[in-house]
Amino acid sequence: MTAVSRDGQRSTTSVSAPPSDARGPVDWVAALTGGGPEQAAALRELHALMLRAAAHQVWRMRQALPDPSPSAVEVIVNQAADEAMTALLAKLHTFEGRSRFTTWAFKFAILQAATEVRRLQWQHREVELRDLDVPSSPRHEDPDLYAEGNDLAAAVAAAMRGVLTPYQRRIAIALLVDGVPIDVLADRLGTNRGALYKTLHDLRVRLRAELTANGYLAVHPATPPDPVPSHDTSRISPTPTAGTP
Amino acid sequence: MSTTPRPDPAALTPRNVSALLQDTTPWLSCDECFERMDTYAEALVHDPTYRDEAMAAHLRGCAACDEEAESLLQLLDRP
Repeated sequence: MTAVSRDGQRSTTSVSAPPSDARGPVDWVAALTGGGPEQAAALRELHALMLRAAAHQVWRMRQALPDPSPSAVEVIVNQAADEAMTALLAKLHTFEGRSRFTTWAFKFAILQAATEVRRLQWQHREVELRDLDVPSSPRHEDPDLYAEGNDLAAAVAAAMRGVLTPYQRRIAIALLVDGVPIDVLADRLGTNRGALYKTLHDLRVRLRAELTANGYLAVHPATPPDPVPSHDTSRISPTPTAGTP
Repeated sequence: MSTTPRPDPAALTPRNVSALLQDTTPWLSCDECFERMDTYAEALVHDPTYRDEAMAAHLRGCAACDEEAESLLQLLDRP
């Protein structure tokens, strides 16, 4: 279930107000940068917030951990909270007050904890950056047969071969078929999550355009497929650490 | 060291196909998603009908960001 699909299921009776900033200073930024005992107190309060959010995130993902014992979880939570606090303090000048400070702070700890759990989940697993190995069957080359039964998958595989670069296919297979987490793959490739998501977005646009042109997807006036972007991040070469066969 | 599981090479599953064909327009980057996540979550908690199409499209297409947004929503729902 996505955070989006969850929206539709949110009951108004279960909605509560965002948590107040009852704990901690009224002006977090001033307290965290002002020096003296107020700063020390604010840093302690902030660390407590980081611990709370990191623990929440690790608890959500505990089944993915190789060692979900309480002592191992505590180590992960503390490390994630410390690293999140460092990341937050480096970005403190960017806080504009559009949300509560606590909510803004939580997201740093959630990101750090989730990334760490996914890293631990995959730390002993090799990531194979493989190309599409769906065989090209002659029966799928007949357009009439495409329309029968469950041939959408074959049409997608054909489109992957036809309009995606080998790098795009490998990224698509790793992320969307083999289920490699995007930050784990980014780490193995020596890139970042944003660059991989851009590759994913671009290849999806190409696939949707191809499938739409071939009659497998309806043209959606409200959200037409994007044109193929001129900046093709698929040309980023995987590094040797990618586990490419 | 284990390797990633190799799926049946004979077919992409319906779930694979759905993921590959996910419409992720309008474009929003992971960095922009992170920047908006706090205001997005608070807006949703305040008003469950709140919509941000770019965020919605991104969260449908990025499992990691979606997990983190869902987690933040859950944390705000349970102060």
